[in-house]
Amino acid sequence: MKRSKTLITQALSTLKGNIERTGDPLGFKHTYWTEWTNGLGLPKGGKTVLLTARMYQMLPYVIQTTDMVASIKPLLAIKGFGKALSMGNRLAGETVIRLKAIGAKEIKARGTRVLKGIVAALNGVGEHPAYLYEAEPYSGVLLYDLGLEEDIAPHINKVYELLKGHGVEEVIAVDPHTTFMMKEIYPKYIENYDIRVKHYLEILSEGKGDLGDVSHKDLPKEFVMHDSCVMTRDLGIVENVRKLAPNMGIKLLEPENTKLDTACCGGPVEYAFADLSRQISSIRIQELARICKDIIVTCPICLINLMKYEADLGVRIWDMGEILHVALTDRFS
Amino acid sequence: MNKKDAAKETLLKEIAKCRSCRFCVDVCPTYQASEGVESMSAYGRLQIIKYLLTGILEFDDSLTYCLYSCLQCRRCEVICKSKGQDIDICKIMQMGRSLLSQNLVQGSSNEKI
Repeated sequence: MKRSKTLITQALSTLKGNIERTGDPLGFKHTYWTEWTNGLGLPKGGKTVLLTARMYQMLPYVIQTTDMVASIKPLLAIKGFGKALSMGNRLAGETVIRLKAIGAKEIKARGTRVLKGIVAALNGVGEHPAYLYEAEPYSGVLLYDLGLEEDIAPHINKVYELLKGHGVEEVIAVDPHTTFMMKEIYPKYIENYDIRVKHYLEILSEGKGDLGDVSHKDLPKEFVMHDSCVMTRDLGIVENVRKLAPNMGIKLLEPENTKLDTACCGGPVEYAFADLSRQISSIRIQELARICKDIIVTCPICLINLMKYEADLGVRIWDMGEILHVALTDRFS
Repeated sequence: MNKKDAAKETLLKEIAKCRSCRFCVDVCPTYQASEGVESMSAYGRLQIIKYLLTGILEFDDSLTYCLYSCLQCRRCEVICKSKGQDIDICKIMQMGRSLLSQNLVQGSSNEKI
C-alpha cells in the first residue's frame, strides 16, 4: 500500500508515454508480434482480419515488466527516482526487457501455439481471415481500464482509421479484453462505428461450419473450466467452450464459482500490485485445482497469472487455443 | 457547467443509487484477499469516490491503492443486479479513475477530484 500513489503515477505516465511514442503499451519500436505467423501464409489484407492486438505475443515481455516493477517498488520512495525511471524506460527499457524476455522461450512458444490453434480452428469451420502483420494495432484497453480518458479517444480514432484504411469490415479477436474494447467501447467514441467485432469462440460455435469430431489422443479427457470475467460478464460468452468440448472428446468440469459467477484470476492488478494479485490468484487456483489438474482458460491474462502455479501445484493451464492446436493443427493448418 | 463538473455530478447521482445493502462486499476478490477490509470492496470504493468528490477525503497512498486495485471483474454487479439494483459499478470506477488519472499523469500538486 505504501508508495501506491507514486507507483500508479509512474505506471500511468509510462503507459501514456509508450502509447504516444510507439502505439505499443510496452513502448517497443521493434515489431515483436508477427513471428507467430511463420509458415501459416496468412493473407496480408482482407475484409475480415484476425486481430491478436499483440496480447499473446506480449506475454514474455509482460512477465519481465512486472518482475521489474516489483523489484524497483522499494526505490520509488527516493525523491527523483520516478523521473529517472521514466527517462531510463524511454532510453533502455525496450532493450532490457527484450534481453530478459529471451529466457522466456516456453511462454513465447505457448503464445504461438495458442494463435496457431485459433487459426487452425477458424480454417476448420471455413473462415480464412487475413492478418495485418506489422500494421496490426493495439486496442488501447489499458488506457480505458486505467481511466486515461484524454488519451483514449485519439488512440481509438487512430486504430479505427488504420482498420478502415486497410479495408477492414470485420474483426475476429482472440482475447476477451480486445473484443470488449472494440465491441463495446469503440462505438461510444466513434460515431457510426461500422466494424463488426467477434470473438473467435463465437465464430466457432455459432458460425457457418462445424469442427466435427476432432478428439485427439494427446489431450487429457477431463478439464476444469476457468471462465474469464470479461468473457462472461462483459461479453456474455459463456456456453461456447462448453458447446465445443464434445467435439474434442473432452469433459468439462465446473468449479465452485463458475460461468457468470466466475472468480477473477487477479491478473488485472498485477501491473502495480503483484502481492495482491498473487493472493487473489492463489484463492482461485486452489478452487480449480481441487476439481481437476488440467485447467482451461480463454484469456491471455488468466493464462499468465495462473500458470505460475503449475510447478508448485502440479497443475497444467491450457489456453483454449493450445487445446485447439493439439486437436487441429495437423488437420486444418 | 464544464465537462469535469458534469462528470462529477453524474458520478454522485450514480453512487446515490446504492442502497448500502453490502451484498457486493463479500463477493469481491480483493476484499477476500485482504481478509475483510471493506474499503477493498465495491461498496467501500464507491464510498471513497463519493467522499473524494465531496472533498471529505484527500487522495493519498491508501486511497490510491483501494481505487486502482479494483479488478473491474464485475462480480459485484452480478450480485447488485440480483438484489434489484443493477448499478454499473465498473463504469463508476472507470469514471472515478478518469477524474484522478489525468491529474496524476500531469503531476498536479492537487490531486483532489
